[in-house]
Amino acid sequence: MSRKHDVNKEIENEVYCGTLPVLPKERKYGFIDALLVLSGYCIATWSYTQGSYLATLVGFKQLLIGAFLAAIFMLMVYQLPVIMSVRYGIDIWIWLRSVFGPKGNKIVTIIIIVVNFPWYAVCCELFADSMENLLGLFGIQLFNGAHLILSLSCVVVGTIIALRGVGTITWTTRILVPLLLLVGIAVVVVGFTSVPMDVIWNYQPELAGDADKTVNYVLNIEANFAFVITLVGGMAEVPRLCKSEKSGYYAGVLGQGAAGSFFVVVGAVMAIAMQYVTGKMVDDPTLMMATLSAPILGLSSLLLVAFANIGTQAVGSYIYGVMLKSTFKKVSYKTLVLVLGLYVALLCVWGKITEYFGSFLTIGACVYAPLAALLFVDFFAVRKQKIDLKSAFELEGYNAYQYTKGFNIVGIICLALGFGFTLLVYDPIKGIIHNKILFMLTPTLASFLFTGVLYYLLCKIPDIRRYVRRDTYAGPDKRPFDRAKVPPRQNLLMLPLIWLYCKITVVPYKLKVDKYNMEGIKPPFLVYGSHNSFMDFYVTPLALKPYRANYISELEGFEAFGEWIYRQIGCLGTRKFINDQHLIKNIIKVIKRGDVMVIYPEARYANVGTNSHLTPSVAKLAKLLKVPVVTINMQGNYLQQPIWNLKERKGARLHADLKCVVTQDEIEKLSVDEILSRISKELTYDEYKYQLDNKIVIDDAWRAEGLHYPLYRCRKCGKDFAMTSSGSKITCKYCGDSYEMDELGQLHSSSGEIIHIPDWYEWQRGFVHEEVREGKYRLDIPVRVWALPNAVNFVDCGEGRLVHDNNGFSLEFDNYRTEKHETLKFPAKSMVSLHTEYDYRGKYGPCVTLSTYDDTFFIYPTDESRDVFNPTKIQFATEYLGGLYT
Amino acid sequence: MEKDNELESRIEEVLKVEKENKIPRMTKRDYIIAAVITVIALLGIIGGFFL
Repeated sequence: MSRKHDVNKEIENEVYCGTLPVLPKERKYGFIDALLVLSGYCIATWSYTQGSYLATLVGFKQLLIGAFLAAIFMLMVYQLPVIMSVRYGIDIWIWLRSVFGPKGNKIVTIIIIVVNFPWYAVCCELFADSMENLLGLFGIQLFNGAHLILSLSCVVVGTIIALRGVGTITWTTRILVPLLLLVGIAVVVVGFTSVPMDVIWNYQPELAGDADKTVNYVLNIEANFAFVITLVGGMAEVPRLCKSEKSGYYAGVLGQGAAGSFFVVVGAVMAIAMQYVTGKMVDDPTLMMATLSAPILGLSSLLLVAFANIGTQAVGSYIYGVMLKSTFKKVSYKTLVLVLGLYVALLCVWGKITEYFGSFLTIGACVYAPLAALLFVDFFAVRKQKIDLKSAFELEGYNAYQYTKGFNIVGIICLALGFGFTLLVYDPIKGIIHNKILFMLTPTLASFLFTGVLYYLLCKIPDIRRYVRRDTYAGPDKRPFDRAKVPPRQNLLMLPLIWLYCKITVVPYKLKVDKYNMEGIKPPFLVYGSHNSFMDFYVTPLALKPYRANYISELEGFEAFGEWIYRQIGCLGTRKFINDQHLIKNIIKVIKRGDVMVIYPEARYANVGTNSHLTPSVAKLAKLLKVPVVTINMQGNYLQQPIWNLKERKGARLHADLKCVVTQDEIEKLSVDEILSRISKELTYDEYKYQLDNKIVIDDAWRAEGLHYPLYRCRKCGKDFAMTSSGSKITCKYCGDSYEMDELGQLHSSSGEIIHIPDWYEWQRGFVHEEVREGKYRLDIPVRVWALPNAVNFVDCGEGRLVHDNNGFSLEFDNYRTEKHETLKFPAKSMVSLHTEYDYRGKYGPCVTLSTYDDTFFIYPTDESRDVFNPTKIQFATEYLGGLYT
Repeated sequence: MEKDNELESRIEEVLKVEKENKIPRMTKRDYIIAAVITVIALLGIIGGFFL
């Protein structure tokens, strides 16, 4: 077995073990252990470079504020998501697969390495500087190009150490951290004893004539934000081994914010002392000690610093080599380390990494800040601390994070926009401030806030939320919808937009609105509307113009379009066919504040373009509210998009009649029956009659597709669930009886018989009533159950069993609320009708819904029960058993 | 295959541990302390403008 093979095997093992979730029994670190390890991780010679850079910007007091308070502020915020690493024992890169997708995550890994690896070129530069300066102190002048050779030698030795693998790196780390601590202590002692204390305390930099003190202070804060946020990529490596969330979090904050910052201040003290003594600001501890104490101390520190820089370079190559190996599994570790070495070597050849230190810091932060913001918002606000680990680890059959071919477009766009936003605030290369107000926030914080808010708002848009949250099953939001919440008035600012949108939607269908008895009718009043399709919600606002209104909407509309937007357009959320007292209270509030309340009393779309019976409660509500009653009977809405086939028919023409049927004077005088009679009369409709009377041609070739959902029983052989539809035909799959739907909505049999669709529909209802009366009606089938608790998400309840008979419904399933397998009963008399869907949202197929106060259960057939599950028949039985039809 | 099994069993165990809250969580008090420290740091940064 060769040595090369050993290293590769070791690294492969390291990569594998490095990504596995760490179990509680394997956790090694308490707070102190983690703090010590992380402190060591945060100390490197580049801390001196940072310190001397800060000393060129601000005085010592402001420098202290920047190094400690700015660092701690940023760390306290961006490191919070490490609690996720502690909780699940995973690195943030596992979580980030949900933010960017597995392939997107790989790209981000490369970007992070590209922007972060120049730190190691800083190490090599420091190594070369140390050697050069110290040899200079001994009077040895080096030839031109010696600096480059020295820095490249640091790259070469560091790379060789990294190539030797895990064991060598472990030993290097063990020696490296104490060495750096020794150098740091020596620098502190020499720095503070060689110059008077007040020189350091009262230090102010010599600024160029055009320099702005405020801008320099902001740059100082920015440099510290950028300095600490560069840790984001590796911030979870140690916390995932911690025993509690608090210890992981505070160890991360204090490891960098206290220990790391202390060494930055040490670097600043050294630079200030050197400037005081020699008039020149340096960031080389070797030179400082040689100058301020004795050459022998400088010589000793040279050895320490030299090894420290080489060691840091080696550890960096190893860590990033392993990170790349976990991303690019097929490329050998050796190749990856050599590529990294080549990258650092090229930066050394360029030779300006120290000169552009501030720019390089901010460019890095341009990427890190949006990355940290995405992680923060995703963890706390979008995924709410729940992740589907199986999808994150890409286990077979778990694909929630595959998104678009492995890329989460939303996360990647936010990262790119966050990067671009920083550049709009500040040009780190030329040092030009583009936006002074945002610059005062610092480019890093501005970018962090911008990206976080952008991602949060995007994820509020329902379609985007559904795209990003394909893992809702792993941690669904189970909080019940707040039905008691008072609905806001329709937003006045949105009203013109609503009217414009509605107008654009109805234009192709040439909507015409006729108003009757509406003279002098002003809000508050109650509107009852016919209910045919989603088009009703576009026609009604236009008919009620110039008044704003509130609408009752089933909760699934809130889920589909988002709660915020639904509230803004004045919707009151409820569940169907429950006794919702909160809804009544909110309706009263709407009327009391002088608005229009719109209700679609049938509470379901017309299956075949005809009205349902209305219950006396419709009139009782009007009596309770004591305001005029207006009806809006809309025609053509069903024809344009019938519930059994949601494709839009361009030939449809829309018409609406708005009519005051009960005036303010009449509402007290008329009886409930009289009011109900007037409303029912005005809300009687037959869409196919309207089509025929007005000769509305709908000639789409697919015009009958889906018609078998409401017309499920064969007129000839009498079998239920026998019909099938295709193109413009509906056919019995048993006896072959077939009907052609003409362009005016009538059915023609082969024998020349003309069928009016609502007649067929009502003919079927009679058979169901008979079955119920004879006690023969019974449905007992396996079903698939999804619960909708709120406006956020559905909850998968798995398979269950639905029974429907003369007693009503009983649904047996795994109730996610109680976490028990139980049976919910819905007594027959408690429901006058049933919400049905023929192809829910155009992709989920037929279903019926049953509601409790806190859940709406969407019930779908399984493969086994698909052939006997027909929402229309279940609805007929429910309406008969509930007393709506006799 | 062996590695996949190892991974799957670890995930199951981690999820179980998470559900049972076996790893001590950040409490409301911890979050409040973190918020207070953050605000103090922010006030310090703002104060730095006046030095």
